[in-house]
Amino acid sequence: MKKILYLFLILGCVSCTDPIQIQLDSGSPLIVIDGFINNMRKDQVIRVLHNSDYFSTSPSSPITNAVVTVKDITANKNYTFTYSGNGNYVYKLDTNNLINSVNHIYQLNIALNGYTYTAQTEQKRTAIMSKKAVKISYPFIDTSLFKLGLYDTLMNRNSKPFYTVFLYAVDIADNNPDYYWVKTFRNDTLFNNPNDINTSVDGSGGPVYNSPQPVNYFTPPASFLGFKRYQLGNTCKVEIHSLSYTCYNFLNQAQAQMTNQGLFATTPENVKTNIVSPNGATKAVGWFNVAMTVSDSIIIK
Amino acid sequence: MFRYYLFLFMGFSLLLNAQDKFTISGYIKDQKNGEALIGANILKKGTSIGVSANEYGFYSLTLPKGKHTIVATLIGYKIIEFEVNLEKNISKNIELLEDSKQLDEVVITGEAEDKNVKSMEMGVAKLDIKQIKKIPALFGEVDVIRSIQLLPGVSTVGEGATGFNVRGGNIDQNLILLDEAPVYNSSHLFGFFSVFNPDAVKDVKLIKGGIPSQYGGRVSSILDIRMKEGNSKKLSGAGGIGTIFSRFSLEGPIKKDKASFIIAGRRSYIDALIKPFVSSTNALKTADFYFYDLTAKLNWRINDKNTVFASSYFGRDVFGSSAFKFNWGNATGTVRWNHVFNNKIFMNLTAFYSNYDYSLEFNMPALNQSFKWRSNIENYSIKPDFSWYLNNRNTIRFGFQALSYAFLPYDATGQTQAGNSISFVATKRYGLESSVYISNEQKLLPRLTLEYGLRVSLFNFIGPGKAYNFRDTTANTEKAASDTLIYNKLANIKQYINPEPRFSLNYIINQYSSIKASYNRMAQYLQLISNTAASTPLDVYTIATNNLKPLIADQGSVGYFRNFKDNMFETSVEVFYKYLQNQLDYIDNANLFINPTVEGQLLQGLGRAYGSEFFIKKTKGRINGWVSYTLSHTERLVNGISNNQWFVSRYNRTHVLNIVTNIDITKNWSISLNFVYLSGTPSTFPNTRIDVQGYYIPYNTTGMRNNYQIPSYNRLDLGATYNFKNNDKHKFKQSLVFSVYNVYNRRNAYSVYFKTTLNTNGTLTPQAEKFSVIGSVVPAITYNFNF
Repeated sequence: MKKILYLFLILGCVSCTDPIQIQLDSGSPLIVIDGFINNMRKDQVIRVLHNSDYFSTSPSSPITNAVVTVKDITANKNYTFTYSGNGNYVYKLDTNNLINSVNHIYQLNIALNGYTYTAQTEQKRTAIMSKKAVKISYPFIDTSLFKLGLYDTLMNRNSKPFYTVFLYAVDIADNNPDYYWVKTFRNDTLFNNPNDINTSVDGSGGPVYNSPQPVNYFTPPASFLGFKRYQLGNTCKVEIHSLSYTCYNFLNQAQAQMTNQGLFATTPENVKTNIVSPNGATKAVGWFNVAMTVSDSIIIK
Repeated sequence: MFRYYLFLFMGFSLLLNAQDKFTISGYIKDQKNGEALIGANILKKGTSIGVSANEYGFYSLTLPKGKHTIVATLIGYKIIEFEVNLEKNISKNIELLEDSKQLDEVVITGEAEDKNVKSMEMGVAKLDIKQIKKIPALFGEVDVIRSIQLLPGVSTVGEGATGFNVRGGNIDQNLILLDEAPVYNSSHLFGFFSVFNPDAVKDVKLIKGGIPSQYGGRVSSILDIRMKEGNSKKLSGAGGIGTIFSRFSLEGPIKKDKASFIIAGRRSYIDALIKPFVSSTNALKTADFYFYDLTAKLNWRINDKNTVFASSYFGRDVFGSSAFKFNWGNATGTVRWNHVFNNKIFMNLTAFYSNYDYSLEFNMPALNQSFKWRSNIENYSIKPDFSWYLNNRNTIRFGFQALSYAFLPYDATGQTQAGNSISFVATKRYGLESSVYISNEQKLLPRLTLEYGLRVSLFNFIGPGKAYNFRDTTANTEKAASDTLIYNKLANIKQYINPEPRFSLNYIINQYSSIKASYNRMAQYLQLISNTAASTPLDVYTIATNNLKPLIADQGSVGYFRNFKDNMFETSVEVFYKYLQNQLDYIDNANLFINPTVEGQLLQGLGRAYGSEFFIKKTKGRINGWVSYTLSHTERLVNGISNNQWFVSRYNRTHVLNIVTNIDITKNWSISLNFVYLSGTPSTFPNTRIDVQGYYIPYNTTGMRNNYQIPSYNRLDLGATYNFKNNDKHKFKQSLVFSVYNVYNRRNAYSVYFKTTLNTNGTLTPQAEKFSVIGSVVPAITYNFNF
């Protein structure tokens, strides 16, 4: 919503932004846990890091002495993550033991400096790719899409022609809301600007109850205003990761904090965490989520 | 409370008086155009016994039997004196003639010269529309709301922000009345232009403290805007072409001295100018982007005892195209009946309707997708107000008001692929606010005047509708609805009652100085839900419910008023303290749109604001204007936010300095200068960062809100008005207004935010950026005419 309002400002005004030098206080130490794992057939990584000065241009320094395990509580099964440098704790791909159990409850345990940090989450179902795709080339004249008045402002008018792809996914519309994180790639590169964080509830703006149809179709790569450009020969790939409701909120909150600008900025706030810090231990922040994923891709021809 | 009632009754017992007195009453009007002259003074010559005309120009003065010389005065008008022989009650209408000689150099406010010292009013600022028109304005567009922001105690979070903040109050705490009907969104294009057409506005009055009993419903201020009645003598018109708007207004008699009308319209026209020059494939060709407003008023003076007014305002902002539409606007309609029961009792009966609505629509036929969303808030009200001019020591005012609220938080329908239609419709919410009030303005001693009153407001959250109950959780986390109750039409869901005592005092030290003090309690039953820096047109109001308590404010203020050099300089110092209860705040990551249980996202807390306001105004001479300085502090305490400690409000501005000057150089040229300085608003800055999934997320380990202050705001504007040379000879008068806004091109920070830039090599650079709404000098020319 804010994006839409922001557009008018560009249209109507002489507003501008300038870099500004600010002396910030130093924050107290935090343990940062980046625990987004999934059922994909690849190594699973949980990162344990220190926090950094906000303006530091180098990545945060790693915590190397943690012991990281994930326990499938429902199946009473442990997955051990071993340190492989750079703050990464890795569960090596084992095709017989994928983390792949819908509705199971998982617990993350991180033992560090005599304390154990924990977090729990449920692995939720994800959407289904529908094998349907629509390709649209730009600039175009005949569809109403870009009569939005956005073309001239959002995109460089002089850019060379490009294509946008809509890959369709299917959401099961059964009154249990599904929360998704849609990641879009060009060839193998993730679109990873904070503005590219594309989350969705039931493939729409909010939970769909009593849907007239058993399924909802939706177009993952294109959140409204979020069209991505492709050239002939590029591969467009989409991954849909399932999220818990709280993780969906976390991503939205994180995105809001990283893109909080303009006339309609909200009050900055600290992102929430689902990591439980033991009493007396350095506070941990970050998130633990176990996703089911689905992926599809298409080559632009 | 009991003591208060006792005090009230004691006051009334003093009202009983002997009957060998008679009353002279009537209306005071402008001889040239028949407009009622608000605030004109009627005095017994050589004494301080007198009254001022009310909002409709009515006066009533009671004097002992016998001969008297009566004087009628108003700044900018020739003084009139006449003899009356009071053997019985007399009805007399008075017409005053504008003093054209005086006009060139004077006229800042249309009122008696020493009114600021002698009247009960404190915390009141009046702006004459002629003065407003001289202030250099953004894009040269004369603007009532932006002019108000130059007065002491009034500030804004920045250009483009809707509304204004009064003495540490939020923008939704100002009751903006246009001919007595509330206006919910006072802005076009977010906050850049206000919706009031300067050609149709007659009088602007802002009440910040000592709010009289007849007003209620908002806790921080009343902005009372009165429209012109329309020239009842001859047809006349005005208009202009500006950078943003073109304007036209027409007024005149329907029947001379009996009935008149005014109709005034404005429309932005940048779209009309651009369209012929863009190619047919350009998005602008089919896009809509304009805003307009239309104001109309009719009045009919049936006889000396009865006058009827009908006025209406309609304004809209429209943006979009076939694929995307976004529009919002207010509509108000007011019907009023002035009735004089006898020489001493004046009644105004007002019935009004007010509506604010918006809609947002997307259509993407290529993808078979669409989305529509609308919301509105509607009021109906009836409100009789009585003024009883009991004798020259007591004026009693009483009345009541019934005000209904109906609002639709959202009605959204989406169309997805495969033709699935998804709809989210909120249950409408209804409320009824009823209030009664009585007050007396009493001259207790020749130098001491009191005004005391009580307003009692009753609010009912009523059916049909749904009410949610919420489970208690940790503060600052989403409250989950535990159950939903469904109510039938008119069923009472929740009721609140609030006595609102009001009290003011004026002690006149001498002819040129006085001390005033006031206390008021105000209750407010609806609040704006908005957690953004500037309110958006999409923000919705909520009424008080079973979960949301009404907002209550107590304010006390004391002021010293002193005039110098035969009232050439007016000065005042006022201090105030305001305490607020149940102010809205929001949980972190609040979801405020299209959410049936939005109450679960809201928090309520305490607020307090205190400060002092210094004001010097030069009312006469070729150089006139004012300097105002406000030193204030406003903060909040909300359980769950900022470690449960007091934090400064988003709109806190410690220092605010305004200098407004107008210089009449020659008969044809005048220039104006306007300088503002405001301390930077507070903001929450991070002190560290956490890296998650390759994103740099800002984080503040102290948990304190508004821990930094952004750079201060300062700006100089210049304006020059040229009145065409032969204006004297012609009926058709023309002028050109040149203005330069932000003369020294300062990029004032609206906000400072933190972001990371993704470099081409894949690394991230975190940085801070300053956002300036106006990033350049803005020159403008406006052409005006009237006939």
